[in-house]
Order: sequence, then structure tokens, then C-alpha cells
Amino acid sequence: MMKRMMSILLMLMLVFSLTACSGGSEPAASTNEGGSDAPAKTRVAIVFSGNLGDKSYNDSCYAGALKAQEEFDIELKTLEGTEAAEWEANFLAVAEEGYDLIICSSSNFEEYMKEHCANYPDTKFAVIDTTVEGDNIVSVSFAQNQGSFLAGAAAALFTKMSDIEGVNDENIIGWVGGMDIPVLHDFYTGYEQGAKYVDPDITILQSFAGTWNDPLKGKELTLAQYQQGADVVMNVASGTGTGILEAATEAGKYAIGVDLNQDGDQPGHVLTSMLKRVDSACYLLIQSVVEGTFEGGSKQYLTIADNGVSLTDMSVMKEALGDQFPDEILTKIQELQDKIVSGEIVVENYEGFGPNN
Amino acid sequence: MTFEKIINLSLIYATLRSATPIIYASLCAAITQQADILNIGTEGIMLTGAFTAVTVSYLTGSWLLAVIVAMLAGLVMASVIAVGHLKYGAEITAIGIGINMFALAFTKYMLNSLLGKTGSFTDPKIIGIPKVHLAFLDNSPALNELFNNWAVTEWFAFILVGILTFVLFKTVWGLRLRAVGKFPMAAQTAGINVTAMRYQALAISGLVGGLAGAHLSLGYSKMFTENMTNGRGFMGVAAMFFGGAHPVLTAIGCLVFGFADSIGARLQAYGVPSQFVLLMPYVVTVAVLAISMATKQSREARKKSALITTAPSTLTEKRG
Repeated sequence: MMKRMMSILLMLMLVFSLTACSGGSEPAASTNEGGSDAPAKTRVAIVFSGNLGDKSYNDSCYAGALKAQEEFDIELKTLEGTEAAEWEANFLAVAEEGYDLIICSSSNFEEYMKEHCANYPDTKFAVIDTTVEGDNIVSVSFAQNQGSFLAGAAAALFTKMSDIEGVNDENIIGWVGGMDIPVLHDFYTGYEQGAKYVDPDITILQSFAGTWNDPLKGKELTLAQYQQGADVVMNVASGTGTGILEAATEAGKYAIGVDLNQDGDQPGHVLTSMLKRVDSACYLLIQSVVEGTFEGGSKQYLTIADNGVSLTDMSVMKEALGDQFPDEILTKIQELQDKIVSGEIVVENYEGFGPNN
Repeated sequence: MTFEKIINLSLIYATLRSATPIIYASLCAAITQQADILNIGTEGIMLTGAFTAVTVSYLTGSWLLAVIVAMLAGLVMASVIAVGHLKYGAEITAIGIGINMFALAFTKYMLNSLLGKTGSFTDPKIIGIPKVHLAFLDNSPALNELFNNWAVTEWFAFILVGILTFVLFKTVWGLRLRAVGKFPMAAQTAGINVTAMRYQALAISGLVGGLAGAHLSLGYSKMFTENMTNGRGFMGVAAMFFGGAHPVLTAIGCLVFGFADSIGARLQAYGVPSQFVLLMPYVVTVAVLAISMATKQSREARKKSALITTAPSTLTEKRG
């Protein structure tokens, strides 16, 4: 008897936890059917390949969605997932639910979109960071290579300032990525070109953590690079990046943030952040659906000239270093940025990226 | 020059640093394994400990209190396993996996409702476990590199290996625990309270597992992230199998993992493909388990043949 009670109880707990995980989309679905005279809210779902709270890519995307929710009164649903199996399941779940717009936050969803999007012709899909062909798909990509070019240049300039505490006299900088996917290579291509533009003899250390959410792994990789002579390491690793920035503080070295402004996360140890305006991409996508300007099959490429990518103003670092802060970095970066906008410097793309892809 | 950048003194400390969380996890699994309980729940116990430690440290500003409360939290999780398994006869693997899933969801929920964050939590108010700075080592660059600035819990991991080895193999309690693990009926006949011994083993395991988590979130780093254990509990269980639940051998298994991890981190920066490097810990896990299982089998085969040559004659005599 006791055992049966226990098993029923356990079963109930399991069912409860499963429904709790899926976040209760059912009530929302039924409200729309009720009042036919009330204007139906635009229903938007975002699927993430990782968790919110990464203070980086995913949070940036979510911020854009929240802004759109405030302005357009949409119904918003977000699904997080840390493993490939979850990504496909989440993607299919929202596709089945019949949302008006489904935003796939990263290129991790590319294969699922290719396979399934055609089966849901009435749903609008959007993908950020890669291009997927399809009549109901809009693709938004960024010129992350241009932003990384500036980050690489900043790192190459900074590693020479050996009078600043924690900067050694070796000409080595580092770069730590999350998963080894093409878009990260586009980051790296720009970073390398930018660093070598400043100093052709510079050594760049490159590592991948293989995950978006293991900060301890990121920390270990970063500490290894510091140990090998790097003094500035760029983070392109979503949740794994928290550990990269922490390593900078712990080792008394420097890091470069990514996606959102991470300068204040470890104040005094984050030289600058490469901003990638995933938030505005997400916002504009939702706006296009609400206002009926969504154009399936189209693609957008946001460059440094469109303000799609940029560097922060390094104000946090300036405050931390005081008089030691090398103002010439800022002028040099501005100069390089102008040259990229004017076309004098052409930043290379990784295969499959760029305005024509 | 490149070689020196990959293999050098700091690799030794890096190995220890990435092995320590796994050492704690493997000890958590080893102590119950001695009582013949496979503690799959190590991962969940550890994760709970990590969350509790960060929360208490943030709220009270005391790392010591944080570590103690984290150990108690580990104890609570282990008690759930103990009651479920020992009192109600639940399958140990099932309840272990249940604990892992519960810990993952519960810490995620608490992170949101208690601390108001999602994904990860970092704050300057989190006080980490202090690092031990031995001033007299400053004069020697090599020793300074090797032994200075270890977190307190990194030193303690090795002390704990010693303590557990002593307790298991040199005390009456340890003998009884191992007897319970090897042959519970014989132990019971000898007057040992088998269930009580198993409860005690799980309780200690919980305390160690909580400490493992506290080290992860306050010693190894100063943050909490959802699922921050990321399989380290399972690697601990694998290392426990490698070492046959002997604390010293188990710790050596963990060092092998730590070494694979740290050398990988160094190789990658010099152009070795990341896919290959990221594969290494898993290849090492499989290799280590295969070797340990093979040696175990050959050892048992030898034992059996020893029994055949000596034991049967005595047995038949007695029967006759």
C-alpha cells in the first residue's frame, strides 16, 4: 500500500515537473480562441540554443524581444535548451503550436529549419546569425568580422602597453570561443586580421570550449592562454564566457567581452566589448510581423555602418586605469572604424559569410 | 619554445586545479561504493552544494558558513537517496537519476525565485574560499608556481583522501563498512547493523558531495551557473570505478582526467583541432575504464583459480 502511494506520488511529481518545465503555453493558446471580436495578439516564440542569463548573446536577443513586447503588446514565449536534442524538440513544439513568428536565435537551428520550415507554411520563421533558404524565412546576419577586427586591433594595441599592470612584454593575445561553429570562425577571421593589421608578427592563441554553458571550462582555457603569454583574451562564448571574464580578474589580466556590454561585469579587467546588436535584430523582426512588412525569403546583413556591430567606449576601463589609460587606442580604433565604413579596409569573411551569402 | 609553453610547471597546478572538483565527487561516490551502493546522485548532490554555497556566501559574507551549509544541503539530498533506497527499496540508479534531475530543476527554480536571476549568478558580494599564500615559498620561483595560492579546499582534498583511506582501512568502522559492502549477510551474522552502516555511508557521502559543490562554486570559481557541474559528478563516478573505490587510486584516476583536460587546454591554443582536444577527456574516460575493468577481471580470474587449487579440497574434507 505504502509503496503504491509512493509511486503515485512520484509519478505526480514527475508530471508536475514536466509541465513546469514547458512553462505553461496552454492557457495562452486557449485565450485567443475565446473572444473573436478582440484583436488577436501577435504570438511570438523564441527558441534559444543555450540558457538565458548568459549576459551575452541570448540575453541580448531577449532584451530586444522584451522591448518589442512593451511596445506592440505581443504574446511572447521563450524556450531554452542546452543540448541539441532539446533544441529540435523545442523548435518543433513551437512550430506545432502555430505561433505567428518563430525566431531561432542561432545557427544551431539551421538543420531543423531546413528540414521542417516548409511543413509550416502559415508560420513565419526568422533565424539570426546564419542564412536559411525558404519562402517563410527571414535570415539576419551580422558583420561580426568587422566588429572583431576592431576588437583584434584593440587587443594588439593593448598587449604592447607593458607599463600597465598585468600586461607582459610578449606579443601574444588570445581568443576563446564556445562551440566550434562557422559563425565563430567569422569572428576569429576578423579578430586575426585586425590584430595583424596592427602588428603582423603577433601570435594569437585560439581555443574552443565546445559548449555554451560551462564557465569553468572557459576559465580553465583562458588561464591556460594567460599562462602561455597572452594578456588579453577575447570571449565569444555566451554562458561559457562568464568564466573567461572571471579568469581575467583572477589572473590580473584582461579580457574582451562580446554581444552585450560586458565592460562592467569584471570592472577593470574587461578592456572593451564587441557589441553585436542581436537585440535590435530581434526587435525589428517582431516589428516587421506586427506591422505586416515581414518579407519571407529575404535576408539582412547588419554591418558596422548600420550600427549592427561596434566596440564599447572603454569608459569602465578608463576609470579603472585612470591616467594610465592609453587614449591613443580610442583614436586608433575610431580611425580603423572609419576606414572600414569607407571601404578602405575590407575585412575578410569566413567561408559562407558576408553580404552575398 | 612551443613545447615549453605546453609542458611546464604550471601544467602541474592546472592538472590539480581541474582534478580537485572531480576528486571530491569521486570520494563522494567511493564511500558509498564501499558499502555496495552506486551513488549516481553525486552530480545532483554536488550541484545542490554549489548553489547553496554561493547563496549562503552571498547572503552572509562568510565562506566557512557557506561551506558548512553546503555540506548540510548535500546531507539532505543524500538522505533522500538513503530513505528512498534503504527504507523503501527504490532502485538506486533510478533514485540517483531522480536526484540529479531534481537538483537541476530545483537550483534553476531557486536561482530565479530566491536570487532573481536566470542562467548564472555572479556578484562581488560572493566571498570565495581563500587561497593559501605561503610567504616562505616566494623566494623559489618553481615552488611558488607549484604550491602557492591554492584554495583551502584544494589542499583539503588531499587531506581528505588520506583521512578516508585511514578510516576505511585502519579503523573498525571502515572494516565493518567494507564487510557490509562485500557480503552483507555475513556482516549481519557477525552482528553488524547493515542498514545503519549504509545510512552512515550515504550521510558521509552527502557531506563530501556538498563540499565538492562548494569547492566548485566558491573555490574553483566565484559564481553559480545552471548545471555548472556539467558531468563532473559522473566523471567522479567513473574515476571511482577506475580506482576500485580505493580513495588513493580513485584520486589518481581523477588526476588523469585533470591532466587530459589541462593538456588539452594548452594544445588547442597551438593549433591542434578543437574537436580532437575536446574528445580527449571522453577517450581517456573510456580507456581508463576499459583498463581498470580488464585488470579487475584478470585479478578476479586469478582469485578464482586460487580458490580452485586450495579451497575445494578443504571443502570436500569438511563435507566428508
